[in-house]
Amino acid sequence: MQAKSQADAPIAVPQTVRVMLTGGFSRRYTDGVREFEIEAKTIRGVISAMDRLYPGLGEHLEEETSLAVNGVIHEVVYTQIVPAGAEVFFIPRIEGG
Amino acid sequence: MSKHHITTVINGDPVEFLCLANQSLLDVLRNDLNMTGTKEGCGTGDCGSCSVTLDGRLVCSCLVLGVEAQGKSIQTIEGMANGEQLHVLQRKFLEHAALQCGICTPGFLIAARSLLERNPDPTEEEVRFWLAGNLCRCTGYNKIIEAVLDAARELRGA
Amino acid sequence: MLTNTKNTEHVFKSVGTSPVRPDGVPKVTGIAQYGADYSLPGMLWAKILRSPHAHARIRSINTAKAEALPGVKAVLTSADLPALPFDYVGPERVAVNYWHMTRNILAREKALYEGHAIAAVAATTAAIAAEALTLIEVDYEILPHVIDVDEAMHPDAPLLYEDMITRGIEPAPSKPSNISKRLEFKIGDIDAGFASADEVVELSFKTAPVHQGYIEPHSCLARYGADGQCELWSSSQGHFVVRAYTAKLLGMEIGNLVVHPAEIGGGFGGKTVVYVEPVAVALSRKTGHPVKIMMSREDVFKATGPTSGSSMTVKVGVKKDGTIVAADGLFKFQGGAFPGSPVMNAAMCAFAPYIIPNVRTVGFDVVSNRPKSAAYRAPGSPISAFAVESVLDVLAQKIGMDPLKMRLKNAVKAGSPTVWGPKHSHDGYAETIQALLDHPEYNKPLGKNQGRGVASGFWFNGGGESAASIHINEDGTVVLATGSMDVGGSRASMALMAAETLGVPYASVRSTVADTASIGYNHVTGGSRVTFATGLAVVEACNNIIEELRLRASIMWDVDVTGVVWEDGYAKPADISVGDFEPLSLKAIAAKRAVTGGPIVTEAAVNAGGQAPGFSTQFCDVEVDPETGAVKILRFVAAQDVGRAIHPKYCEGQIQGGVVQGIGWALNEEYIYDKQGRLANAGFLDYRIPVASDLPMIEAIMVEVPNPNHPFGVKGVGEANIVPPMAAVANAIQRATGKRLTELPMSPPRVLAAIDAG
Repeated sequence: MQAKSQADAPIAVPQTVRVMLTGGFSRRYTDGVREFEIEAKTIRGVISAMDRLYPGLGEHLEEETSLAVNGVIHEVVYTQIVPAGAEVFFIPRIEGG
Repeated sequence: MSKHHITTVINGDPVEFLCLANQSLLDVLRNDLNMTGTKEGCGTGDCGSCSVTLDGRLVCSCLVLGVEAQGKSIQTIEGMANGEQLHVLQRKFLEHAALQCGICTPGFLIAARSLLERNPDPTEEEVRFWLAGNLCRCTGYNKIIEAVLDAARELRGA
Repeated sequence: MLTNTKNTEHVFKSVGTSPVRPDGVPKVTGIAQYGADYSLPGMLWAKILRSPHAHARIRSINTAKAEALPGVKAVLTSADLPALPFDYVGPERVAVNYWHMTRNILAREKALYEGHAIAAVAATTAAIAAEALTLIEVDYEILPHVIDVDEAMHPDAPLLYEDMITRGIEPAPSKPSNISKRLEFKIGDIDAGFASADEVVELSFKTAPVHQGYIEPHSCLARYGADGQCELWSSSQGHFVVRAYTAKLLGMEIGNLVVHPAEIGGGFGGKTVVYVEPVAVALSRKTGHPVKIMMSREDVFKATGPTSGSSMTVKVGVKKDGTIVAADGLFKFQGGAFPGSPVMNAAMCAFAPYIIPNVRTVGFDVVSNRPKSAAYRAPGSPISAFAVESVLDVLAQKIGMDPLKMRLKNAVKAGSPTVWGPKHSHDGYAETIQALLDHPEYNKPLGKNQGRGVASGFWFNGGGESAASIHINEDGTVVLATGSMDVGGSRASMALMAAETLGVPYASVRSTVADTASIGYNHVTGGSRVTFATGLAVVEACNNIIEELRLRASIMWDVDVTGVVWEDGYAKPADISVGDFEPLSLKAIAAKRAVTGGPIVTEAAVNAGGQAPGFSTQFCDVEVDPETGAVKILRFVAAQDVGRAIHPKYCEGQIQGGVVQGIGWALNEEYIYDKQGRLANAGFLDYRIPVASDLPMIEAIMVEVPNPNHPFGVKGVGEANIVPPMAAVANAIQRATGKRLTELPMSPPRVLAAIDAG
């Protein structure tokens, strides 16, 4: 999308992040596909985009996973911001004893 | 089955209770006298959580029948402190962080006091062997042993 | 991020001290109330009838005679609980299936292990309840049973579930088996990796199930009212989870159940699930009276989750210089009578401390006629670590490299790969190894029949949901409440973090655990999450209350709130232009709370992320008696990265406690079954956990590499310490005797047999 003039709003540059799934999760829900380039700025955006690719996947991502954003572990929270170019890895949720 | 009428002294106070012949002293303390400071960890004399003293002798109250208390003097954890003044062992357990969940603590305190009454200057090994009848799953025993040795030092005025 | 507060000192005033905990005096005087210490007027006693058979079809249950016994008020069977659909819900690693869960509470079609709950009785005395159990007639059709994991995986093994088809295998098997699930993680190319290795070692291992061994049996008291409102006093590791499970199992609305957190006498993961609570609530509902249940120690061993037994094969390849080039692990875990062993954790944690470009881990979750496994301190990781750390020791000796130095060479740090995918995000592991290399005793020579063993371990540590509330009392003292059960002293740690953030003395903060009706949802006290996640909620609550206090001060001074700063426990003018005001203490602001807007309160909630994992490296010196096979621990040194020790003595206590559980696991603890699949050692006499005379002082070294994602740098500390000990002891025994033991426990008969084998 091109800006029409200097006075226009700044270009909305689509931000992509790399979404990764574990082998087991991908075999169950995405026919084994493990890596995705997704346009999103927040985890909500990521989940919505993944759900559009595989309808119903969004709920599995919310209920069954935690995530690692560039390695740092987080629970799945919609408002979590993902920086441009980040690796967002959905991993099995952690439980301890 | 009719109950037996038992007269005893608990923590210095005269106490009477009724109990069945097959009831343990632990059961009487906890469920008839509402003295729940003494804990049941196993009911078979293996864990020491139910430790009390009976006429000065360290026993597992789960292995003593209620009727055996007749005419005897019992000391439980509830009698260890003197109002707001904690026994030195209780104080040392707190300072040394010698408890985590605390369920074994009353048994250890009773057992440790019994040791120090007999042996005011025990070695670490003597403390460990005396307390081998008290199980703890949280602390690894380290800080319990340190607390007991420190309490012994203070009691000796060392 | 505090924008209007200034910490005038970089040295912490409260964090890092070891004051007496708020529940300390109650616990040393016997006043503290654990699950079995509650009673109510009109209370009934309940007892549970348990299957004497390891595997049997339940043809019928006749409760008429029991119900007719004078004093019996109700008898309960699974018919009194709602049927729940078969459906795995929630996180894959520990997915809950209520179809299984309700059957573990009270059996339906089959008794699946000796000790499986069949029915329950509530009566006016415990003795009558016990007698009533003997009057319940159960018609069992005894079936062949299987216990060992390898035997359970055999195609001819007796099946627990005639329709269990293994998940995770494509295409799905056509025949049922006892294998609930297969999973696999992989990075790189292990064939190429092994081809490039100078030395390759492959060994197989077996471990027996072990129990968490908490001294307090499961206990609770339930009171179900005629209005459908129920109160439950229960010792658990998570009263919100108890509420959720119990409500679901009884078909109740969550809001109708209030769970009060009793003090807990140890959990270690085993009390993150329910056993007696649904039974007590159902009996209270049926009788209209309060109902109390306390499990016997025998029932705890027979019917509550131990951790899995396992059968494992681990293969590792290294270069001559000690670089690990490939690793392959096969982990078969028995989950007991229902699926859900921690095999996925084991597969993920096994090689996690090491940078290895080519790794594969395969796990099998297998059912067998044993009680359902429950979490036990870093669930799964200690088991796979026993295998991996043993193989690494063999390799270290083969290439003539010091085992600590070999670990250091391959140690992960932030940015290192993991087998499950994302990169490691935190340093800290190398520092634990260095702490031992620098230890003055590490190179001390040993004598005859003595050996020194080294091992490391990894555990994830948890984040998740927590809530904390703060009230400022009329006199300026602070009430702090969270919903996190306190097992090891967390009330003190929460108060320390609050005192530090607010700038007030620790003694002015009252730290409590609130019930499910009084605070927002808190996830379990487990997974080494509380100091981290609940701590975050506490700090956030403090930040909120500071903003409120600044606002109140601004109203008192009649200035704009931007003119007020919070510093060292006082509201102060930001600068002289705001006005010549004396600093206001909490007490002064609280005294004016009515005219400035009312009570000064806040509640904060988090779904915490950004936690750092736990790394621990340990060495132990043993002496082995060549005539008896008895192993004596001479010295044990455990280093762990704790991020920041909020309460140093409690952190040390966690390390020491976990290590000793690991020593028991290594040397003594196992379940022993007879030919009928019945437990022969269901008590502390023969299920031998370490006693004080078995042990030396355990030295705990707290390494601090702060976690940047927590205001105080906290990393979870409870679990990682139990991961290395079994391998450390096995490696020490090998160095002392020349014999490599690959089966746990390494009890005297086994050690002696290995020595005598020549």
